[in-house]
Amino acid sequence: MDKIRVEGLNFYYGKHRALTDISLAVRDRRITALIGPSGCGKSTFLRCLNRMNDTIRGTRTEGRILLDGQDIYTSGINVVELRQRVGMVFQRPNPFPQSIWDNVAFGPRVLRSHTRSGLADVIEESLRGAALWEEVKDRLRQDALSLSLGQQQRLCIARAIAIKPEVILMDEPCSALDPIATLQVEELMRSLKMDYTLVIVTHNMQQAARVSDWTGFFWMGELVEFDITENVFTRPSNRLTEDYITGRAG
Amino acid sequence: MDSRFHQELDQLRGNVLKMATLTEQAIEKAFKALRERDIELSDEIITRDQDIDLLEMEIDRSILRLLALDQPMARDLRFLIGCMRISADLERIADQAVSIAHRARYLSKRPPLPEDPVMKRLIETSLDMLHVALSCFAKLSVDQAMDVCMMDDEVDELNTQVLKNLMDYMIHEVPAIQRGVQTIITARCMERVADHCTNIAESVVFIVRGVNIKHHCEQI
Repeated sequence: MDKIRVEGLNFYYGKHRALTDISLAVRDRRITALIGPSGCGKSTFLRCLNRMNDTIRGTRTEGRILLDGQDIYTSGINVVELRQRVGMVFQRPNPFPQSIWDNVAFGPRVLRSHTRSGLADVIEESLRGAALWEEVKDRLRQDALSLSLGQQQRLCIARAIAIKPEVILMDEPCSALDPIATLQVEELMRSLKMDYTLVIVTHNMQQAARVSDWTGFFWMGELVEFDITENVFTRPSNRLTEDYITGRAG
Repeated sequence: MDSRFHQELDQLRGNVLKMATLTEQAIEKAFKALRERDIELSDEIITRDQDIDLLEMEIDRSILRLLALDQPMARDLRFLIGCMRISADLERIADQAVSIAHRARYLSKRPPLPEDPVMKRLIETSLDMLHVALSCFAKLSVDQAMDVCMMDDEVDELNTQVLKNLMDYMIHEVPAIQRGVQTIITARCMERVADHCTNIAESVVFIVRGVNIKHHCEQI
């Protein structure tokens, strides 16, 4: 089933067209990876999925992005609500300079979605969901910045899932992490897809191959190929995709 | 400029082609030894087989290293897997050359059997298959690979016919049974060579198209 359908998406930074006629379907509770060289538009595309680009002046979007059939760019859409449904995890872990507890509690408090006692359950559930609970359960009041980078990134994932999103966007979530922390986050992604739809941007093609179900290859603002990950990495249908993933282009 | 990885892929291709040349020479010499009743040449084939074995091991080592260190994808990955399969098939073909050389050695010391045109045709067709199979790898030609696959049925039929002819002959010429059996084994060796040629052709299709045509499981 399609969670998100993108139809004829064009995106402009001023007069510069950064994305050209992108159409694809993001499957529900699957991991979709977006790959391509720097500047190819994959992060721009990712940020279109929860309208994060709206915060940049002079940008313009054409086409449709349907979340469960509803166009997120239509007038009357509550963008805050949209970003609650479509959360985001960034390249560098960005915990707030607060305690572990307060980081995870931030979203539910803003949304006033839980009672005080219910909040404790949400925090435990979110930290467990992010595979961090066992490591931090005895020091929840400790400063989040005292955690390792890998733990900080999982804390950011816990913070994202605390507000019960349906889709999680991840922009290079492991690029700042060491190999062990990377593997932990990858394992986490696999477990998260039981409950969430994930879209990740990565420069690490081995990572895309390891974790994703579907892969899209972007090149100069165009979606060159979108297929089941196994096909993309074993027998891509497009020559440009093959040249890129075998290191002959890009 | 090619990356270090792609230069190593080229070196690997060179080694597989070298192994292919040595294997083709071994088979051709085995038939020469059989035809010309040349014991010395038979011994040379048996001794030189070690060169092919060593080359296979070197190819295996470099493929393992490239897979582990470079984590190749798409056509590079298919090429490495294809080379691994092809070198294994070449090694088996070379073993058939050794087996034929042993038969040639045995038969050279005994009176010749009457010439069988079907056996001659079997040898020619198998050698043709080998030549085209190795050429299709060198050129990565799917068309030639498909030609090889088409030829395999003919070799199977010729082998069956050789068997039938020799069985008929041996019923009437009991003293020739041992020589007849050795010749049947030789024909069987050629049929195996043709099977390995078909495998090589299938590997070439896999390398080029990413499609597994073994056992007709996928279409091109």
